[in-house]
Amino acid sequence: MSEAASPSKTPVTVLTGYLGAGKTTLLNRILTEDHGKRYAVIVNEFGEVGIDNDLVVGADEEVFEMNNGCVCCTVRGDLIRVVSGLMKRKGGFDAIVVETTGLADPGPVAQTFFVDDDVRAKTRLDSVTTVVDAKHLPLRLADSKEAVEQIAFADQILLNKTDLVSPEELAAVEAQIRRINPLAPIHKTQRSAVPLDAILGRGGFDLDRIVDLEPQFLNPAHGEHGHVHDESCDHDHHHHDHDHHHHDHGHDHVAEAGIRGISLTAEKPLDGIRVTNWLNNLLQEKGPDILRAKGILDVKGDNRRLVFQAVHMILEGDYQRDWKDGERRYSRMVFIGRDLDEAALKAGFEACVA
Amino acid sequence: MSFDFDAYVTAALFDRSGRTMFALGDGSVRAVAGGGFVTVEAHKGAVLSACAHPSGAGILTGGDDGRVVWTRIEGEEIAASIVAEVKGRWIDAVAASPESGLIAFAAGRDLRVVDSKDPAFERVFTHEKSVSDVAFDPKGRRIATATYGGAALWYARIADQKPVFLKWAGAHSLVAWSPDGKFLMSAMQENSLHGWTVPDGKNMRMGGYPSKVKSLAFLSGGVMLATSGANGAVIWPFSGATGPMGKEAAEIGFDQSALVVRVAGTPKLPVLAAGLDDGRVWVADLKSGKMDTLKAEKGAAISALAITADGRRIAWGDEDGGAGVIEVE
Repeated sequence: MSEAASPSKTPVTVLTGYLGAGKTTLLNRILTEDHGKRYAVIVNEFGEVGIDNDLVVGADEEVFEMNNGCVCCTVRGDLIRVVSGLMKRKGGFDAIVVETTGLADPGPVAQTFFVDDDVRAKTRLDSVTTVVDAKHLPLRLADSKEAVEQIAFADQILLNKTDLVSPEELAAVEAQIRRINPLAPIHKTQRSAVPLDAILGRGGFDLDRIVDLEPQFLNPAHGEHGHVHDESCDHDHHHHDHDHHHHDHGHDHVAEAGIRGISLTAEKPLDGIRVTNWLNNLLQEKGPDILRAKGILDVKGDNRRLVFQAVHMILEGDYQRDWKDGERRYSRMVFIGRDLDEAALKAGFEACVA
Repeated sequence: MSFDFDAYVTAALFDRSGRTMFALGDGSVRAVAGGGFVTVEAHKGAVLSACAHPSGAGILTGGDDGRVVWTRIEGEEIAASIVAEVKGRWIDAVAASPESGLIAFAAGRDLRVVDSKDPAFERVFTHEKSVSDVAFDPKGRRIATATYGGAALWYARIADQKPVFLKWAGAHSLVAWSPDGKFLMSAMQENSLHGWTVPDGKNMRMGGYPSKVKSLAFLSGGVMLATSGANGAVIWPFSGATGPMGKEAAEIGFDQSALVVRVAGTPKLPVLAAGLDDGRVWVADLKSGKMDTLKAEKGAAISALAITADGRRIAWGDEDGGAGVIEVE
């Protein structure tokens, strides 16, 4: 069930991205900018440095699997330890930023903030923010499944070092990101220069902040590298199915990793019980492969929007505000995951129509 | 007697003279003196762990400044001295043995041992994963550590050794020895207790908790183990050679509206104190069944609890800095 973002809970931003993407530059900006806030930064090496008001603590990435073997209960033990310790400190912090290594799986990091009762009581996960660099992303996507997962998991993406590539290369990189994650806003930056309030305080897991879902399967103009032929392609070309099959030079690393976003919509109201059961069963069965999911649903017989978000098997859903007059009233959800069967998802979803 | 310290109370302890001391999230240690308290800034950051000093005078604290500090009253003054320092590490756990005079603490993946009577003595035992708790056996010769995948048993004084590793999948966060040294108990990251027989390492799986177990206490000469982690205090029977195996736990002081988060027991007597997540504190005589609410006023969750060996006084502290000492009728 949803837990309102209580102001007494310390927001946590998880910063992911491979080595050299620009995470450290961003961290240094968070620590040195004159923001009047008190941050604790958990970095992935031992050693503690206090910079003015802020605190930097090191932690080894220790992934804890539970005795029950459930992958979705897998958490980061070091984070539980450090967060519990930080919460003892007098005065607390305005926010906590967790830096992960380039090889980190963001799943256990995010799950820590839902699975561990003590951590959950004191903090709330604000966002998973992924830093990638425009120049090296295609290479990283080819050689690191973690790089793909970090993009798939992100609530927002810093597409950094845009000055090192041509506009065409940039558009192609953006298209690649969009195929993996159609939801996360992309901030294009140089030297990780982005206003900090755009990065912190996102409410990426806050049900009240699920205002709209506008999946952007960003599509470069027809004929450009990375163009995706889909239903929005308005020129008349040979018949194609809706596989979002894309034409790329050589082989496609993103497709090889098998991670992509799938968007589902229904114009007719859904049966509340049926859609809840379907979602529960789907996440039980496919949870390990579903990295993130979000949805806004129109349930028959209720004038409120039913919203949900999920991290692997952890599902949070609740009725939100009323549908507004004149608002387009329809159900939509986005799944980001590995080897997802789009046809099966679509069929399952459509069977929930009341 | 109650106090408002305005910082998370990490530990409440009685030293051997019966003096009450509190260790706090602002790095200070406060010793109750007269009608008030005296304060020393023992750590630069927060106190993360604490235990009584093996000499019986004062307490040891571990901080996020990497220091282990001994705080005691000398004459009329409060004094603090650094016992050990590991730069850049957090001291997540500290334990001491009055029997051997040794002090053990966790710093990252290392278990470190120092001798309160011999400044030259030092041992460092490295684990594959972080050490989250340390505990001396009743004689103070062997140390158990809680870590990922089980508990390790080390001889405190031997420099080069391979530890006995008691395996059990999952992350272990607390360890406690039974007073006869025949059982080692651990509280886990998941809502479960685990136990091993020593030395043969038979597993005892003790589940069914609705929340994490954060506190363990043997009492009444070791015939009972009390734990937090449920709506009442959970009592496991340990009389007999097989301990709790095949037996059921009892839950006392059940209250649907709150969870027991801290327990403290008298080593020889059947007296148990419990601290709740709504700020209440009760004490029970497990023999007569008499139960008293010592602190009925609700507030922040209890984070620290101690009872004197005679069961006559209880010290408590909460997450917001509330603390107190209560005489038991």
